[in-house]
Amino acid sequence: MAARFPNLRWWHIPAGLLGTAFVIFWILVLSGQKTWFSEQPPLQIIPDMDDQFRVDPQEASRFFSDRRSFRTPPEGTVPRSGRAYPFGPGDLALAEKAFPQPPFPESPYVLAFGQNRYDAFCSPCHGPDGKGNGPVVQRGFVPPPDLTRPEARAYSDARIFHVISAGQNVMPSYATKLTEAERWAIVFYVRQLQRQSALQQQAASLSTVPARQ
Amino acid sequence: MFTPDLDRRIKQGILSVAGTVLTAALVTYFGMHNRVTDVGYRPQQPVPFSHKLHVGELGIKCVYCHAGVERSPHSPVPTVSTCMGCHIVVKAESPRLALVREAYETGRPLEWRRVHKLPDYVHFNHARHIRAGIDCASCHGPVERMGVVSQVAPLSMGWCLDCHRNPEKHIIPAREISGIFTGLPAQAGEGTTVRIAESRPVTNPPYGLWQTSVPQQLIPGVPTPKAPGRGPETCSACHY
Repeated sequence: MAARFPNLRWWHIPAGLLGTAFVIFWILVLSGQKTWFSEQPPLQIIPDMDDQFRVDPQEASRFFSDRRSFRTPPEGTVPRSGRAYPFGPGDLALAEKAFPQPPFPESPYVLAFGQNRYDAFCSPCHGPDGKGNGPVVQRGFVPPPDLTRPEARAYSDARIFHVISAGQNVMPSYATKLTEAERWAIVFYVRQLQRQSALQQQAASLSTVPARQ
Repeated sequence: MFTPDLDRRIKQGILSVAGTVLTAALVTYFGMHNRVTDVGYRPQQPVPFSHKLHVGELGIKCVYCHAGVERSPHSPVPTVSTCMGCHIVVKAESPRLALVREAYETGRPLEWRRVHKLPDYVHFNHARHIRAGIDCASCHGPVERMGVVSQVAPLSMGWCLDCHRNPEKHIIPAREISGIFTGLPAQAGEGTTVRIAESRPVTNPPYGLWQTSVPQQLIPGVPTPKAPGRGPETCSACHY
């Protein structure tokens, strides 16, 4: 070693290692691979108008003493757009009268939309096929009844719409999360799940019939 | 060979170069710190909610809790009644959920700490970006793998414009876990790549109108997803 590198001194090795580490560190920093985490809010060197005296959505209020920005509207306030679902879980008869049928016809696009909404909002409990075996149920939630059972197949569209909108038993209302159109699209998709399940049952019962000699 | 004058100059040169390098290193180091760029801001939340558990393991989609993000500029932080939808039964006695139960019973809001914050003079519209099929992870990173959410992108103006100019390099197309509706299922072979509509010539007009074709509503009351295109570069697109 010493013969091949006559100028090598003992301190060249740690110095070389330190230098390499230094270079690698800066490569990581400059390429954005090295990140610092902090619980402190970011420093605002020039705050300018970053934080104006106005209320952002869901921001705590600096004006009201209870720090709520969303004020409860006075009694009798009429919304400018949209409408709250007016019925509770028990008002099925009224709901069937008010929302008797879907406002748009079924189409492949509606079914695709309904499937997307169902997968996001219903399948955590009801499962992707409506049998009531979603991941939340496996974590200890009350298993919901099978959506594709014959009684549910006999429900009117309006009744399924009402259950989504008002909730039932431990199921909460989804009227604040899903618009009316979205809830009707889910109704269409639940109907499709029921049709598929009925077809599968039919096929299963046919295959159990012994083949003719 | 070394006159005293040259010797002095060499010493000064070495000192000034070393000083410049050291200053540049310090500025870069602290300039990249999360206290300046916001990246890496990871506050502890009042309730130890884990996206890793709820999204990554249970597969609950982003839009379940952040419902309304497809219709609203602001992505809503869920109400405690959303939490209690499941936690009225699941882990109903857990001490970690004490603050959620308290908020649910008293009606006093639970004060989550905001991670992603834009200056008040910039408007970012979530609905508009979701409609173009841009996945949440494009800006928020792999939240489904985060126990405590941290900011992964600087959310600076240059960072926004990078993507508005070259979306195909930066955008993550809508994933299953986000629950974003992207229209009818794509044909085979399609759908994994982002198709960028050449909606606007870059040079003509240079700072002009942002033209885009708005697709016809196929379901009344439900905005139809549109093909991703280049983002506007007009000042008034975001600063209004």
